[in-house]
Amino acid sequence: MLTNDLRNRFEHSQSWLFAAWLTFLMRYRKTFLGPAWLFVGPALFIAMLGLLFSEVSGIPRATFIPHLAIGLTVWTLISGFVTGSTTIFQRNRPQILQGGMLLADLVMVDVFTTVLQFVHQLVIIVVVFVIFGLGIGLYALVSLVGLMLLIANGIWLTVVFGIIGARYRDLSEIVQAIMRIAFLATPIIWMPGEGGRGGIMGVFLIFNPFYHFLEIVRAPLLGNAIAPLSWLVVLSITALGFALAQLMYARFARLLPLWV
Amino acid sequence: MTLRVPVFLPDDRQLLSSPRKFLTDLYFSRSRRGIVTILDNVSFRLMAGERLGIIGANGAGKSTLLRVIAGIYAPTEGQVKVNGTVRGLFDISLGMHPEATGLENIYLRGLQMGLGLKRIKDLVEDVIAFSELQDDIEKPFNTYSTGMSLRLAVAISTMIAPDILLLDEWIGAGDAHFRIKVKTRMDALVQNSRGLIIATHNTDLMKSLCTHGLVLAEGKMVFCGNLQAALDCYKEHAAK
Repeated sequence: MLTNDLRNRFEHSQSWLFAAWLTFLMRYRKTFLGPAWLFVGPALFIAMLGLLFSEVSGIPRATFIPHLAIGLTVWTLISGFVTGSTTIFQRNRPQILQGGMLLADLVMVDVFTTVLQFVHQLVIIVVVFVIFGLGIGLYALVSLVGLMLLIANGIWLTVVFGIIGARYRDLSEIVQAIMRIAFLATPIIWMPGEGGRGGIMGVFLIFNPFYHFLEIVRAPLLGNAIAPLSWLVVLSITALGFALAQLMYARFARLLPLWV
Repeated sequence: MTLRVPVFLPDDRQLLSSPRKFLTDLYFSRSRRGIVTILDNVSFRLMAGERLGIIGANGAGKSTLLRVIAGIYAPTEGQVKVNGTVRGLFDISLGMHPEATGLENIYLRGLQMGLGLKRIKDLVEDVIAFSELQDDIEKPFNTYSTGMSLRLAVAISTMIAPDILLLDEWIGAGDAHFRIKVKTRMDALVQNSRGLIIATHNTDLMKSLCTHGLVLAEGKMVFCGNLQAALDCYKEHAAK
């Protein structure tokens, strides 16, 4: 049972964090800048794209660049969960064949690794806010709630896609193709017209789940209200997602070592 | 218990027989997914203090059987009931990260084996001492000589003593000096265990360690019981 496994192993949450931190650091060990590369790459992208697009679209930089910076950083987190989850069990084959770690442990370590990458990129958002002199009020704390929800969704998604991805290796390719499209369909490098909700894209936007997940983290930081619909969508997806993950874990977790 | 496993059976491919075949193989060859029975109706009971040796030809399913007992593979039919902690010493280098230092690898592997951080911390000194690596422990694992990596791998794998020990072949590699150290360590592990199951080809090893024997041939259990009878059965079987 997924929730049982997660609860029983929670005392090992320090181990999860440690394993994630260690694997994360080793990825950047021999590079010159180390994990700072996580910051440098996106920072340059945001600078270039921000300056260019704000000219092109006529939206003032002080509005567009923070929108872009937060959107891109949170998207990296979302995308990390979605694409990473399709190969998680194949990547952890040695650990599975050892028999010492439960699938729930592997899921949590992977989620923590992705979150660690995100934490390193938060610096970009801080820098952007300082440059444009944006303040944040107490309302911004709601963003933290949104972030926690997002990470929780990362957990069930890793379980579900991990299991499907181990059985059908095509999933990785399908997901990557979808994410490419989703990146353009979600208002990250563009802003929906009329202050965020109206305009021609407004109608289709509500069907984009990524948009809702992005909003619950981004909107409070920019001082915008979150539409109740977004909360509804996010909470429903969270509940349904965990239910699905429970079912799949119960049914397929034992078979997984035979698939990887 | 029976174990059936999905395997990918590739189409008949004759790579490189002609340029056209090369292209068709690359783009149009599909693997079919079939089910293969690796273990067929294997059933036995091992009591506390008994030591079982699993013997059989290559590919008979010995390693797979061990992994089923370890709880890594779930049986397709039937069940495995174990009283106590089980740990398998299978591939001792599996899971080492080449770019991590020896010390980091101790932690990584310890976590993979299911140990908590505090437990690993308490065991680190002993592992370093046994592996005789001292300062080299701070160097990346991929800079180690074969001997060094082997010593570390053995030291880590034998960090904790389980109730029931599963061995895929005896760990006896390394130079003469290290082999003695390993033997002492392994003997201690075996002595402290309530049950031992070892898969091996080595009949002398079985005679010195085990009380019972199980003969496996093509996934089927040919004999299980008293050690000498099992060895005789294996010899007969091998002669055919």
